[in-house]
Amino acid sequence: MIKIKFYGLGGQGIVTAAKILSKAVSIHEGKYAITIPAYGHERRGAPVYTDIVIDDEKILLNCFVYDPDIVLVMDETIIEKNVDVSKGKKENTLLVINTDNTATLEKYRDSYGFRRIFYVDATKLAIQNIGRGIPNGAMLGALAGTGIVNIDSIELALKENFGVKAGDKNAKAARDSYQYVREF
Amino acid sequence: MTFKMLDGNAAAVEGMQLARVGVISAYPITPQSAIAEKLSEMVDNDQIDAKYIRVESEHTAMSAAIGAQLTGVRAATATSSVGLALMHEVLGVASGCRVPIVMPVVNRALVSPWSLWCDHQDAMAERDSGWLQFYSENVQDVLDLMLMAYRVAEDEEILLPAMVCLDGFFLSHSMQKVECPDQAKVDSFLGKYTAKNTHLNPKDPMFINDLTSSDEFTEMRYQQKVAFDNALRIIPRVQAEFYETFGRRLNLVEEYRTEDAEVVLVTLGSMSGTAKHVVNTLRAKGLKVGILKIVSFRPFPDELVRTALRGKKVVGVLDRSAGLGAEGGPVWLETTSALKGTATEVKSYIGGLGGRDIPEATIEKIFAELLEQYNNHPIENTTWIDLKENPLDIRQVDKLVQNL
Repeated sequence: MIKIKFYGLGGQGIVTAAKILSKAVSIHEGKYAITIPAYGHERRGAPVYTDIVIDDEKILLNCFVYDPDIVLVMDETIIEKNVDVSKGKKENTLLVINTDNTATLEKYRDSYGFRRIFYVDATKLAIQNIGRGIPNGAMLGALAGTGIVNIDSIELALKENFGVKAGDKNAKAARDSYQYVREF
Repeated sequence: MTFKMLDGNAAAVEGMQLARVGVISAYPITPQSAIAEKLSEMVDNDQIDAKYIRVESEHTAMSAAIGAQLTGVRAATATSSVGLALMHEVLGVASGCRVPIVMPVVNRALVSPWSLWCDHQDAMAERDSGWLQFYSENVQDVLDLMLMAYRVAEDEEILLPAMVCLDGFFLSHSMQKVECPDQAKVDSFLGKYTAKNTHLNPKDPMFINDLTSSDEFTEMRYQQKVAFDNALRIIPRVQAEFYETFGRRLNLVEEYRTEDAEVVLVTLGSMSGTAKHVVNTLRAKGLKVGILKIVSFRPFPDELVRTALRGKKVVGVLDRSAGLGAEGGPVWLETTSALKGTATEVKSYIGGLGGRDIPEATIEKIFAELLEQYNNHPIENTTWIDLKENPLDIRQVDKLVQNL
């Protein structure tokens, strides 16, 4: 069982990203995934999070994730907004983050104790491919870079979700991100 | 049979579409809105051959659904929380006139405090409304219980409307992998709907819901009571046929690792999945714990509950509604009543109110208390299991002012 937490800002499409990831692993890889979205008083720009659980078998658990195996951060400034992305972090919890700024990466490593960090400038790749800085598709590509999901499954799920034209662009952003993602 | 990724709201819609509903009158309310919206889209795209009636309230949504169903079609509506409360008056008309409407209820707290989030109080407040009530553990359950509910509600020996309850957000907005049956199989399982007993037909006019004196009222109520008794007998037959047709087992109550369990927790709704997960974790550590999941709250299968819990020394019940003014929550009351005259100690727990999560830790805490009790350490159980510290200080204006 893999427990994942997505952190981002309202408008970055993190709930959509969680659904696309769950489709990618459930429909295209024969596994099981559930999303546990946390709906609150959201507005554009406010911190939001959503949870996903993935397993090879049917999932019984139906509550929020408190001890994530993977933390995905769509916006590096989230830590300035009273959000502790290391909450419930275990020794080997992976961080996948949308940044290529070394100082930021050092801060996440040193202040939050993430020992394994995957990073990519997903916003830049989103702007290049879809013309808008919505990094969710690209971040799913980065997540594929960690090996928990196949990039082909992500591309298929993105195309199914966004339709032909927008889907292709998002899939390209994901593929680029998958290629550019690096371990810090 | 195909796999689809659906959230609870979409699964409810899938069930209505497969049942070929002919009239839809729904009023949107969080967290049910996606049901009302999706149905309207499907009517617009000709994915459902139905008439969509725009209504100004839930009271009218139910009124229109009753009238529509009496003409001989399956009518669809869905609601939540205060929407269900606003339907209250007309819920009794549907059940009293024996109109077997199937309605998803997306469980959400009643006000006040104002809340949008999961709590069973809305449905519990309607537990004596004469409606059948089935509670879903996961999104697959939402679809399966919808299909089962049509068959049960419409059975000539039952003819009672049914609520299929799904936890707000934890199910309504949780996307899960769902096996969806073929239309042809559902058609043969459900059959075509015809209005039985009461109907609206200009060629055969009749009085429906006319003033009934004390000369007949008691007998008509008694007919409803008999219908609930019949439901307890007929539901297992429908579930057996459901298994033959769709290959998935449904129950009135589900025993999960209870057989040799020292203590059992009774659950309702989406908390049941997390509780089963915790049971597996604790079993791996050698602790003999089990779950009894209530699927049908109305009718309440008291005999099955009694049998499942026979000989257990300690049982806990976790209610997701406060049961204000009573000794315990509504599920606890029913369980206690089912176990009357036995030596079983039934502990009441209340938690997960107004959207508060029921994580593994909460279930573990309950099991720890129950096991302590089992091992001959009489304890005062923590009824309000997930209460924060100093609850009486929350929003106490005087105290806040003093602290300034």
